Amino acid sequence: MSRSYLFIPGNTPSMLQNLDVFESDAVIIDFEDSVVDYDKDAARLLVKNFLNKFNFEHTEIFIRINDADSRFFLEDVKITKDLNITGYVLPKALPKSVLALSNLTDKLIIPIIESPMAVLRLEEIAHTKNVRGLLLGAEDLTKELGINRTVEAMEILYTRSKIVLVCNAYGIDSIDTPFTNKDNIDDLLIDTRTAKNLGFTAKSSIHPNHVEIINTTFTPSEKEIFEAKRIVKKAEKENKGAFSLDGKMIDLPIIEKAQKVLEKAKKYNLL
Amino acid sequence: MDIKNNRKPIIISHFDDFFNQVDIHKNKNISFHHHLRNGDFILNRVLNKYKEYNVMDLNIFPSAVFPTYISILELIKNNQIKNITTNYLNGPVADYISENGLPGILTMQTHGGRARSILEGRNSIDIAYIAVPYCNKEGNAIGYKGKNACGSLGYPIPDSEKAKIVVLITDTLVNEKIENPEIKGHNVDYIITVDTIGDKNGIVSGTTSITSNPIGVKIARNTSKLLYELGLIKEGFSFQSGAGGVSLRVTKDVKDIMIKEKIKASFFSGGITKYHVEMLEEGLVEKLYDVQCFDLDAVKSLSKNENHIPISASRYANPNDNQVIKDLDVVILGATEIDYDYNVNVTTDSHQTIIGGSGGHSDTASEAKVTVIVSPLIKGRIPVIKTRVTTITTLGQNIDCFVTERGIAINPNRKDLLSLLKNSKLNIMTIEELGEIAYRFTGIPKENKSEETIIGVVEDRTFEVIDKIYKK
Repeated sequence: MSRSYLFIPGNTPSMLQNLDVFESDAVIIDFEDSVVDYDKDAARLLVKNFLNKFNFEHTEIFIRINDADSRFFLEDVKITKDLNITGYVLPKALPKSVLALSNLTDKLIIPIIESPMAVLRLEEIAHTKNVRGLLLGAEDLTKELGINRTVEAMEILYTRSKIVLVCNAYGIDSIDTPFTNKDNIDDLLIDTRTAKNLGFTAKSSIHPNHVEIINTTFTPSEKEIFEAKRIVKKAEKENKGAFSLDGKMIDLPIIEKAQKVLEKAKKYNLL
Repeated sequence: MDIKNNRKPIIISHFDDFFNQVDIHKNKNISFHHHLRNGDFILNRVLNKYKEYNVMDLNIFPSAVFPTYISILELIKNNQIKNITTNYLNGPVADYISENGLPGILTMQTHGGRARSILEGRNSIDIAYIAVPYCNKEGNAIGYKGKNACGSLGYPIPDSEKAKIVVLITDTLVNEKIENPEIKGHNVDYIITVDTIGDKNGIVSGTTSITSNPIGVKIARNTSKLLYELGLIKEGFSFQSGAGGVSLRVTKDVKDIMIKEKIKASFFSGGITKYHVEMLEEGLVEKLYDVQCFDLDAVKSLSKNENHIPISASRYANPNDNQVIKDLDVVILGATEIDYDYNVNVTTDSHQTIIGGSGGHSDTASEAKVTVIVSPLIKGRIPVIKTRVTTITTLGQNIDCFVTERGIAINPNRKDLLSLLKNSKLNIMTIEELGEIAYRFTGIPKENKSEETIIGVVEDRTFEVIDKIYKK
């Protein structure tokens, strides 16, 4: 139930050392794009030694390994499989590569959906063993489609909606693509709200300064918590499948949604 | 106020002529100001004459020493300088003194302490060389006009009032009347005209931008939340923050809270930047009390906004003056090191190299109702928290809060603050606990402090020596 997933480079000690400082619910230590080929082995050793020495109780830790077709994939898994991490983030995911990874580890997997084929085969990917959620990689996806990213993000609306539907249907997390302009906080807010309104459960980021807005947006508001409390309280009192509150019909899905809001609020110490 | 002269100052149009008229061998206590910072042409030009005239046993009183002041280094190496008294020191001169000391002593004062020392005759200045960007023939001068405007001339005002010989050096000499001059003509003995007093590009400090470094952002956010929870951001509050990136980020975060809560501050003081000016222009603060401008926006504002007020270092922080900072609610300050007794060092690094000095650090910490130190817990693999700081710049008794990216420590002496934070969701811990977190990452650095040869002293504005500086 993490709200935020922060990518940090696996070869930068100062970032690793502070991985729990930025208040991201989950951190994705990157071995892929932010680490050049000649530094991959150094990153693996650094991360291994670091995570063997330090525990982070309140932050979920994932590692983005290199994709299954790359020459780094197997070594990435081999060196990290015994580390105390929540799981792996797998780039360029397709059903075959997700299955290959799930055969190598019992840790959770978050495939990155960043190709048209992955979008078409979302369901196969979503129900592979140990898949915890799907992460949209809009930059690579739009690159493959030969289209530009825009602030309005209409070009990824279909993919976003499809990911949300599939994840919801399979009961896994849906994680939105990072917002790539690190200094444009106003547009980040719009983009994050859009993701939440579409139904994403979380958003990834590539800059620590984005985490606060993401966490705030994906945290139930005071009003939402207040309403959820009323609904749950009335449901307990009425003990019926459906009832009326302020003239509105409340039934099981609404009660369950309210319970989820309270669950989140409890997790983030808001009750 | 003393009025020294009833006659007009002597105007000298050839720089060298002054040194033919005044016996510089007899007047060896000389002072300078640092408002022109690394754009200053005057200090080196003057001291080169002392080199040329081979004046020995000099005692110099620059308000700060910047990397560009290489003539000081040459004079030290020539054995011509005996003592240096200043508020801030970095660059090659600082490096050299750290390793070699002086024939006499280095005295590190504070902005308020320097002003008080001069006004009370403890720092006895024979000749004050004061570069001024705009001056009339009566010797009235201001800093915020002219081709090399630097803003407020806060630091040399005490020098101009007490030095035996006051020399203004300017590249803009005018006939017009100057209203409310910062340097008053009746104190001035000589005006030397030169082509240029400096390089405008070096005058603005260039370090005055809000940090976007994530650790700095986190520290600033923790700080603004702390101030808010302590109820310090309230109608009419007063505030000072430095020009460092984190301090400015705190200012921005405080500004956001002020806008949201419709709060107006009474004044901001100290070094002024465009961010403070924006808040003045947006009606978020009533007055800016400016002892030095850090950028050109601040300089421009000073020339046009009557609520942006230049003040002298004495009015700023001299405890025997009507000091502005006595009404200060909150000050945000940095630290190179802090220890378990909350003593703060901004004078030397952990290898005993002199890298700065108090400036107004110690002054404002002494007076502000709440003094907040902001710093990353670890800087360049070195923990900021130590058992004992290498050099005390500001006494721990004057420090109230220490804010880092991982938590906030409150000085146990401030039980009132701790009580207000009893139910806070902020990560409040002891400074020892913060230290433990840092040491988990860094280990405990081996102490390697040399204490064989004293090269300097740190003096606060009460004139008490609060620590010694040792040769590396």
